[in-house]
Amino acid sequence: MMNHSSPASSSIHSLNMTDDFRYTDEELIARFQDGDEQAYVELVNRYRDRLITFVYRFVNDMEKAEDIVQDTMMKLYTHRHFYRNIAKFSTWIYTIAGNLAKTELRRKKRHKVTNLSHMSRDEREYQLPSVEPETGDTVQGHFAEKQIQKAIQELPLHFRTVVILRDIQELSYEEISKIVDVPLGTVKSRINRARLQLQQALKEFR
Amino acid sequence: MDRYQFEDLISDYIENNLSMSQRKQVEAYLSEHPAAKQQIESVKQIMAAMKSTPEISTSPDFMNNLFKRINVEKEAKTVVKTTRSFAGYTPLMASLSVIVVIAVVMLGLEFMPESTNQATFTPTMTEQQINDLPVLPAHTNDNNLAEAEEDSTDYDEASPAKPNLDDRIQLVGDKRP
Repeated sequence: MMNHSSPASSSIHSLNMTDDFRYTDEELIARFQDGDEQAYVELVNRYRDRLITFVYRFVNDMEKAEDIVQDTMMKLYTHRHFYRNIAKFSTWIYTIAGNLAKTELRRKKRHKVTNLSHMSRDEREYQLPSVEPETGDTVQGHFAEKQIQKAIQELPLHFRTVVILRDIQELSYEEISKIVDVPLGTVKSRINRARLQLQQALKEFR
Repeated sequence: MDRYQFEDLISDYIENNLSMSQRKQVEAYLSEHPAAKQQIESVKQIMAAMKSTPEISTSPDFMNNLFKRINVEKEAKTVVKTTRSFAGYTPLMASLSVIVVIAVVMLGLEFMPESTNQATFTPTMTEQQINDLPVLPAHTNDNNLAEAEEDSTDYDEASPAKPNLDDRIQLVGDKRP
């Protein structure tokens, strides 16, 4: 059984994984479906940072991103038997996280519209900015990370998802196509368009 | 090739996904348009910058919070399991339902009129009509009936006696002469 009092101790080592041998994600989810909760811990450890990077770049709010990744991991726990070994595990977990992130953004948008309609002009000027992670200001080349993050937020959602998955998460076009459930050609076209929009948006920072 | 066709192929050109003929077309366009070359360089820089954005880590409390949520989920499931044990009803609801059903049946029996408990027969024919009914002839040959009633279970005293097999069977260890 899972030892929640000391989760750090119940991680990778309990599965006797060494550098020479690592279970694949698909083997781990199969073990978890058979009741091995250590396999679940290992999957969470493998994916939590990757997913929070993806979700944070998408929603631009660290607290919300952490909540969404928690929800994703809870869904992995409660809906483990929904996974079928016909797709890669990473595709499945990214799809869950992406859907939750989109739902959050829609909810946030509705909330924002409601709030703004009930605010006076003075109140609107003093809205608190979202919590951002402590990351370096400079990124390779000419752009600061904050500038890139800002430019990403200006992209339409269907461009934002695919360009983050491709250029930040470095997933293959095929996998992105499965995650967003859109034909391969459309994914390629959207990524290309997203890059051109980013290039336009970041022109002024060069 | 015009500008829009060129822009459609930028990512494929950078990622080397073009056929040889398409690549030649793009390179021909680039040699004629210096601004297009700059655009390619600019997109390459953005891709590199995106790739080098730092990976973000979850908070130190992430795992603890997750396990707390999982334990709450498990406890909720246990409660549901123990309470819904009678075909989806709680034990209290199931017992109350049984009591109500029994009470209704008892009250029904108590207040039901007695006449409805007895089966009544009301003749539809008059006595005269009954007397006029044809009479069936009586059995003339009762022996046939008796023969028909004979079966294999009947034991006839006069049948030949069973042979005594004791004299013919010699058992091992039998001391009889």
